Amino acid sequence: MSPLLRLTNVTYRYPGAPRDALSGVSLSVGPREFHAVLGPNGSGKTTLVRVALGSLAPLEGRADIEDRPAQGWRRQELARMVGVVPQREDNLFPQRVRETVLLGRYPHLSMWGRERAEDHAAVDRALAACDVTDLADRWLWTLSGGEYQRVRVARALAQEPKLLVLDEPGMSLDLKHEMGLFELIRGLVDTQGLGVLMITHDLNLAARFADSLLLLESGRPVASGAPADVLTQETVQAVFSWPVSMQTIDGRPQMIPLRQSKESRA
Amino acid sequence: MKWTLLVIVAVLALAASVVLGPAAVPLNELLRSDIVWNLRAPRALLAFLVGGSLGVAGASLQALVRNPLADPFLLGLSGGAGLGAVIAIALHLSGPWALPIAAFVGALAALGLVYRLGLIGGAALDPRILLLGGVAIGAFAAAITTAIVSLADASELRNAFLWLWGGLSGASWDAVLLVALYAPLPLAVLLAASRPLDLLALGEEPARYLGADVEAVKRRVYLAASLLTAAAVAVSGVIGFVGLVVPHLARLTWGHRHRALLPAAFIGGGALLAIADTLARTVVAPRELPVGVVTALIGVPVFALLLRRWTIA
Amino acid sequence: MRRFLLSVLIVAGCHSTARQPDGPSARRIVSLLPSFTEILFAIGAGDRIVGRTTWCDYPPAALAIPSVGDGMPPNIEAVAARKPDLVVLYNSGPNVTAAKQLERIGIHTVLLDLNRLEDLGPAARTLGRLTGLEERAESLATAMDAFTSTNLHPPSPTSTIAFVVWDNPPIIIGTGSYLHQLAALAGARNVFGDVAAPSAQVSLETIAARDPQWIAVLSDSAVTPGFAKRQEWRAVRAVRQGHFLLLKGSLFGRPGPRSGEAVKELKALLAR
Repeated sequence: MSPLLRLTNVTYRYPGAPRDALSGVSLSVGPREFHAVLGPNGSGKTTLVRVALGSLAPLEGRADIEDRPAQGWRRQELARMVGVVPQREDNLFPQRVRETVLLGRYPHLSMWGRERAEDHAAVDRALAACDVTDLADRWLWTLSGGEYQRVRVARALAQEPKLLVLDEPGMSLDLKHEMGLFELIRGLVDTQGLGVLMITHDLNLAARFADSLLLLESGRPVASGAPADVLTQETVQAVFSWPVSMQTIDGRPQMIPLRQSKESRA
Repeated sequence: MKWTLLVIVAVLALAASVVLGPAAVPLNELLRSDIVWNLRAPRALLAFLVGGSLGVAGASLQALVRNPLADPFLLGLSGGAGLGAVIAIALHLSGPWALPIAAFVGALAALGLVYRLGLIGGAALDPRILLLGGVAIGAFAAAITTAIVSLADASELRNAFLWLWGGLSGASWDAVLLVALYAPLPLAVLLAASRPLDLLALGEEPARYLGADVEAVKRRVYLAASLLTAAAVAVSGVIGFVGLVVPHLARLTWGHRHRALLPAAFIGGGALLAIADTLARTVVAPRELPVGVVTALIGVPVFALLLRRWTIA
Repeated sequence: MRRFLLSVLIVAGCHSTARQPDGPSARRIVSLLPSFTEILFAIGAGDRIVGRTTWCDYPPAALAIPSVGDGMPPNIEAVAARKPDLVVLYNSGPNVTAAKQLERIGIHTVLLDLNRLEDLGPAARTLGRLTGLEERAESLATAMDAFTSTNLHPPSPTSTIAFVVWDNPPIIIGTGSYLHQLAALAGARNVFGDVAAPSAQVSLETIAARDPQWIAVLSDSAVTPGFAKRQEWRAVRAVRQGHFLLLKGSLFGRPGPRSGEAVKELKALLAR
């Protein structure tokens, strides 16, 4: 079965930049797989998503979606295949939850056609899967950060994609809502068979919930594979330039940053 | 239900435009009256077409530049049109259509300049640059216009500013026909962009990931809205507030789905301008107010009310 | 005393009642309105004018005087460069500002109203006092007063007229303007006699409904005005019939000593 998304030895440099943003990165995401991409700021995580989804063309290597080059997909076709929850969203006008989730049906609608019963059904399913059905008639600006994030995931689900891509979805969420979000994503992978590619800062949650990690540093892949193989003490300390202690919870590595005394600070 | 009401309001507005006026035409003579057929009727229709075009252009532009304060005249078109008109008068170009054509060409020139500016960052039209560029080009054109007017000897040039203030005095069946033939194409382009415009409200990147061809949509919407505005300025000068306020009023009832919002903005804008023009013609009869003054007098309090709602929300 | 005089003149706005200035009469005058230039020449002060506007073209001797620009608004430096001891301005908003600026650099100014024919007499008298040529000014003023007093018993109108000074939007002349008076003296009734302002914007349909026999436009050429070809203007009968009166700017563009001539010419045109 061909993977939903595959990057093969991808190298990319932004025009006029002094160094590569991505260098020799490979990644493969299939159905029922939860992949997380980690790394310090500036390690190339968002660039990876842009190349993977065809917004940028790799200078070397390939980016494929279902074995076809990502750049070759028409926008609307790609949107039926991949649901993206980008880092930033600026809702210009007040909207209700149901309306904004309905926007996710756009890839399935023709230019002049109206929304059909099946579109509304898909919206209902998406709302249910993200447990926001009772918020359906609320205005977006009345929602908490965590609720709003779930609504955005619902919108991506309404696209009925096979692959879900999330860019730092847990940022600025509090503990309860971040945990809830990761549980939601894990659940979608397990029950609906979606493939998930998530960029996140949160090493510990990524290690707890994801099937596979890719650790980047300055655009280069440092380690990839099962969380226990990737997040070792030496690797984390080297990449994040900070002393840590590693623990294990539920068989998954968890990182605890250590305090530094003044002398040992490099 | 709300559509029925809107259509009724529009029909009443048009009827009032034809029945009411400073020249007292008795009801039983309406159908035979030369004034009604050759002056009021085309003027009412032109007001409707221009008001509707400005309403739709305003709604589309607000979505495109992601700014609820956007008005079709922020794009520098009015400055270009004024400059074109003044040059036409200064060169003594003759012909009944000299002024509108010159204004249209001037508006297109401004459009071209702003578009070129908007492409500065690469192939992507940056909405912020469109706004800033529009204001800059508009101011530049206005400055040249003022310079020409102050250097030239003709007092007619000073009266050109009166034309720019906005008015439907030039309405004739020819003008109505021209606009009626010209407007449907840009209007159709904007209506076809309804869904992408909905998506664009989320931001360009999310819209792209939801399947919109953002670059193509931006280009099309900018050009179509500008072409509509250029035509409006050419036949009726600068009529402010319609393009700014009508979309917000329409959103109050029809929400933000452009599929419904754009047609509502068209009918609403048309009705508003027809009403404003009737008021302009009758309130201080036999004198006439510039219609831009009436739309501002109506528009500003409405806008203030809307602002209150915005800040409460 | 001069400053007090000026402030009274400025504050009084519409009233051009000038008080007797004490001090020598003006010998270097800049005139910023063609009518004032004509009056000054008519009272014998023409040789004292050291600056005029580009519009001041009558009498022909005026053309020899250096121009200080078109006067709209007045070019302060050009005026000052002529070293005047008196500047005569038409009383309007921008000119009030210009007058203040001239006063600030020590130049005596006077603002005079000249909107209607009855303003001619007082203007002449004021200029007479300021130049010490009261006698000649008085006889000119008396003639002009007599001329305008015929306005109190105007001849019965034998035709109707509308003055159109701009076409888009249509701007007509009302009773506040001397053109209205000229029309009345020439035996034509201004169909916009119910508009008090000197000029006003009106709807085209009002012009069409009031159906004047003649449309008068200020034009120095003999060509029919451009708006006559516009479809919407053809709703006005006079436009359809081509009944235009083309009035020369230098004679009709402002009230002045030759207004009597203007009335005669208007009568002749109406009789065609």
